Amino acid sequence: MAEEFASAPHFVGARIPRTEDSRLLRGEAQYLDDIQIPNLLEMAFVRSPYAAARILSVDSSAAWNIPGVRAVFTFADMPFVLPQNGPSPIDQPVLARERVRHAGEAVVAVVAESRYIAEDACEAVHVAYTPEEPVLDMQAAQKDRPRRVHDAAPNVFYHQEYETEGFQAAFDTAPHRLTMTFQTTRQTACSLETRGIIAAADPFSGRMTVYCGTQSPHRLRGDLAEMLQMEEHLLRVIVPEVGGAFGMKAATYPEYLAVVQAARLLRQPVKWTADRVESFLSDVHARDDIHDLEVAFDQRGQIIAVKDHLMADGGAYASYPFSGAIGETSLAAKVITGPYDIAHLSTVIDCTYSNKVPLGAYRGVWGPVASFVQEGMVDRIAQFLHLDAAEVRRTNLVQPNQLPYRNAAGMLYDSGSFTESFEHALAQLDYTRWRATQEQARRVGKYLGIGLSNFVEPTAMASSEAGSIGYESCSVRVEPSGTVTAWLGLGPSGQGHETTMAQVLADQLGVDLEHIVVLHGDTDAAPLGGGTGGSRSGPLGGGAAMQAGRKMRERLDVYAAHMLEAAVEDIAWEHGRAHVRGVYARHVSLRDIARIAYNDVRQIPSGLPIGLEVTERYQPPRPVSFSNGTHAAVVEVNPSTGQVTVLDYVVVNDCGTLINPLIVEGQIHGGVAQGVGAALLESLVYDDSGQLLTTTLMDYLLPSAPLVPRMRIEHLVTPSDGALGVKGMGEGSLIASPAAIAGAVNDALSPWGVSFERLPIAPRDIVTSLGRSSAAPV
Amino acid sequence: MYTAPFDYRRAHDTQEVVTWLQEDPDNTKIIAGGHSLLPLMKLRLASVARLVDISQVAELQGIREDMGGLRIGAFTRHAQLAKDPAVREAAPLLASAAAVIGDMQVRNRGTIGGSLCHADPAADLPAALLALNAELVIAGPGTERRESLDAFFLAPFITTLAADEVLTAIVVPRMVPGAKSTYLKRPHPASGYPVIGVAAWVSVSGGRVEDCRIALTGIGPVPFRAARSEQVLTGRAFSREAIAEAAREAAGSGTLEDDEDGYKSQLCQVYVSRALGDIAQGAG
Ligand SMILES: Cc1cc2nc3c(=O)[nH]c(=O)nc-3n(C[C@H](O)[C@H](O)[C@H](O)COP(=O)(O)OP(=O)(O)OC[C@H]3O[C@@H](n4cnc5c(N)ncnc54)[C@H](O)[C@@H]3O)c2cc1C
Repeated sequence: MAEEFASAPHFVGARIPRTEDSRLLRGEAQYLDDIQIPNLLEMAFVRSPYAAARILSVDSSAAWNIPGVRAVFTFADMPFVLPQNGPSPIDQPVLARERVRHAGEAVVAVVAESRYIAEDACEAVHVAYTPEEPVLDMQAAQKDRPRRVHDAAPNVFYHQEYETEGFQAAFDTAPHRLTMTFQTTRQTACSLETRGIIAAADPFSGRMTVYCGTQSPHRLRGDLAEMLQMEEHLLRVIVPEVGGAFGMKAATYPEYLAVVQAARLLRQPVKWTADRVESFLSDVHARDDIHDLEVAFDQRGQIIAVKDHLMADGGAYASYPFSGAIGETSLAAKVITGPYDIAHLSTVIDCTYSNKVPLGAYRGVWGPVASFVQEGMVDRIAQFLHLDAAEVRRTNLVQPNQLPYRNAAGMLYDSGSFTESFEHALAQLDYTRWRATQEQARRVGKYLGIGLSNFVEPTAMASSEAGSIGYESCSVRVEPSGTVTAWLGLGPSGQGHETTMAQVLADQLGVDLEHIVVLHGDTDAAPLGGGTGGSRSGPLGGGAAMQAGRKMRERLDVYAAHMLEAAVEDIAWEHGRAHVRGVYARHVSLRDIARIAYNDVRQIPSGLPIGLEVTERYQPPRPVSFSNGTHAAVVEVNPSTGQVTVLDYVVVNDCGTLINPLIVEGQIHGGVAQGVGAALLESLVYDDSGQLLTTTLMDYLLPSAPLVPRMRIEHLVTPSDGALGVKGMGEGSLIASPAAIAGAVNDALSPWGVSFERLPIAPRDIVTSLGRSSAAPV
Repeated sequence: MYTAPFDYRRAHDTQEVVTWLQEDPDNTKIIAGGHSLLPLMKLRLASVARLVDISQVAELQGIREDMGGLRIGAFTRHAQLAKDPAVREAAPLLASAAAVIGDMQVRNRGTIGGSLCHADPAADLPAALLALNAELVIAGPGTERRESLDAFFLAPFITTLAADEVLTAIVVPRMVPGAKSTYLKRPHPASGYPVIGVAAWVSVSGGRVEDCRIALTGIGPVPFRAARSEQVLTGRAFSREAIAEAAREAAGSGTLEDDEDGYKSQLCQVYVSRALGDIAQGAG
């Protein structure tokens, strides 16, 4: 690996605190709502109170009469749609067109001089509706019951079937079969900073500047241009600091189009920021899946065949550009066997419309669901055969000599450390000791459980919620003074790219970190790239930074060789100075070179262009590269109150080369926190009329700091064959953690024979299913 | 979310508050700490034309000794209750309940009067005050009345308070000397409000329970006294068996609602048992 660097890597692999932290911790970061623009108008939305209804009339006369109101828009004023990608013909209108299809759908947009006035005016708009029967149950919806959500299309908008050859015979002849139904309830990303957007025309050029906390700045620009019929070069997207995105902010939303169009029509800057209630009603939801599963296995617990009917409730429209329902199911179907060597697979996918908020991306997308299914299945087999849960996993794990391994769905696991990470996790946890403790504890009426979760994480895929750009880009400029500026096409929202990308560049260029600044999120400056999502920024962005850095270094080497009268091969770099290898006395600095490149251009070595600027795009050698690892959790469940306490938590993570272990661990901490939420707390609840009941943070339970376990993290390094050997790792921790915690709860409750196949597992569920008689208060 | 427009006035004595309420009782609201009222206004669930701020009304402030008990001004903040030496001495149960309300910001703003008048079925203080046999002092147009807290809560968010009345003070009798008390709460993971809160005190003499009070909040549509549990305990040895029996009677003392699966009854039993257990061990 060393030859990839100008000198020995100083920065890649180092625990470097994040450059970003200083401004974030001091409260100096500028989020969307901090941006001040003169004459800024504010938008607010009248949202549907019904899950399904016909719009009879909209009377906005009273709203127009409120002083300070500048415009009241309906679909007729902005007849734009977000097209649906894929087979179904259903578009999502910017504002409801004739029908409303979920509670919270935007019907009318009001623009006023302040948000206060805009909200008052929203109250003054009278919309008459005829309510219709809502479609709320995904299994009934598959049969178009009680009716179609969209008259023009059946409710099933995505259907796929897949089966390995010989599946049926293998399944039928297997010694044992079990059926189970796994279900995950709706969640949403719940970023600390809500969504928002500002559109402001630039009076000089007539261009439109759009500020938006998106994960894909270039894609948003393209989407706006296409959907609003604008010229792409007349749009500029700037991403301010983003307070969390988690896939949810990768989508292009109707509100974004409404704000930009309002700014065009009114010729004045317009802003909208969601309040928390709006977030719950309009940010994409996630994880509304059911897996009807049958598994066939032998006496040793070796899994022979898996049959899965995957269903997802996609909500009223397919979120643009990425339907969460399709993403969650189609990817889960490809990786439902996880790191286990299972020969046969049969999957059927059905994604349906409903009168609920559209399903989109949330960190891990398919993964938390599939891992929960896959690990739950293994645990049920172990229980059935009275075998140890770890033993059954050993029996099934893909062995090192099987790698690269093509799974039953045809996905290629390029490399990994499945058995090693599992054994390390058991050792870290001290599995046998916990099993003994568990036995003793049961004797005194305490119920501990151990949950094991082996995961695979497909990363750096060509296509994700960030879009379908299979490469990433980086521009590097050595400034005339010898400092370095770099731009990437990424759209970070807290991942620390300004630090990690600078680390990669610093090693390539042989300069120190403080002489590099990494910029992103301005389509006028950054080279066109895909953005951040699908665990792609490390491997793809890192690859782009490496490639651009190397390209620049090759040019700098020519300069240095020329100036030092040495061979290019003999040039070495350190601290921004080049010397002839072994001869430190003779050196030139980056500054000396930059002066020639820009100001004394006659001295430029022949064959080199003027200036020091390069733009490179990196496309990885494979369409996907797999990270893997193991999570292990120990919990205590109080059977009389249903409360779950996590006692111990171990993570073994293998994402190839680590650019910055501190940042990797931070990502893991956050993912495990979200996993606690998924397993035990978070649930978006709809009532029978299609009203979302959980629209505040008093109702939607997020894990707070005391609920997040202390965890021990160990890294294994199985490099990819991509740039630097880096694999993605943004999602693995949330892919694995719900399964680990749920598995531990189920293990704790095994004396009752109770096993939950539905997340989250709430205290009430536990108490109720243990039955009052057996659950005497302790 | 922002509130609809409203008019704001700051009152300087109780009479002024009553007068302003009387002018338009249906559209006027008292604002104390604002920590229950403002969220409702921001969600536009409460529309209020005029707010009357009582933070400058001296009569509503302060904690005084009163006929052997305490007279607590309605505008006393949770944080003050938690640390006030007189409260800690005469009614430690009230101080310990106030100390676990929400978080520090909530305790620094929220008031005892606001908590009672808002009548959130999950509020902490009502349990402690029911167990302490508190009495309310209420001023209305030309009158002042006293009402036992036992009769005050009618339904979630509904009390006997008329639209033109002000809660001025809460009178809390001194706890029986030597009695031990505890407030035990299971906080809701999101809001911090009690999923169940149990306030209890027990005085034991000669090995037997001489007197006791137990009240529950969070678990039913209104906070309630666990009168049956109190009956079970009174006169009995303060034993493990007595506690278990009393705990079993807790749920039946009030109305729970939405308890077909018995989960809430179970929580009542577990938490009353734990609270009494804490007191028995002197941990209360
Ligand atoms: C994040 C958060 C967490 C919380 N957690 C908890 C918790 O764990 N436990 C808990 O018990 N509470 C909790 N609360 C509520 C908090 O204790 C409130 O402060 C309290 O319920 C209301 O008191 P207030 O002074 O803020 O009243 P306000 O909001 O000002 O008023 C509430 C109502 O009472 C009326 N009112 C107020 N004073 C009087 C008076 N003297 N006479 C007549 N009417 C009056 C008002 O008109 C209004 O209708 C929480 C609040 C928040 C925001």
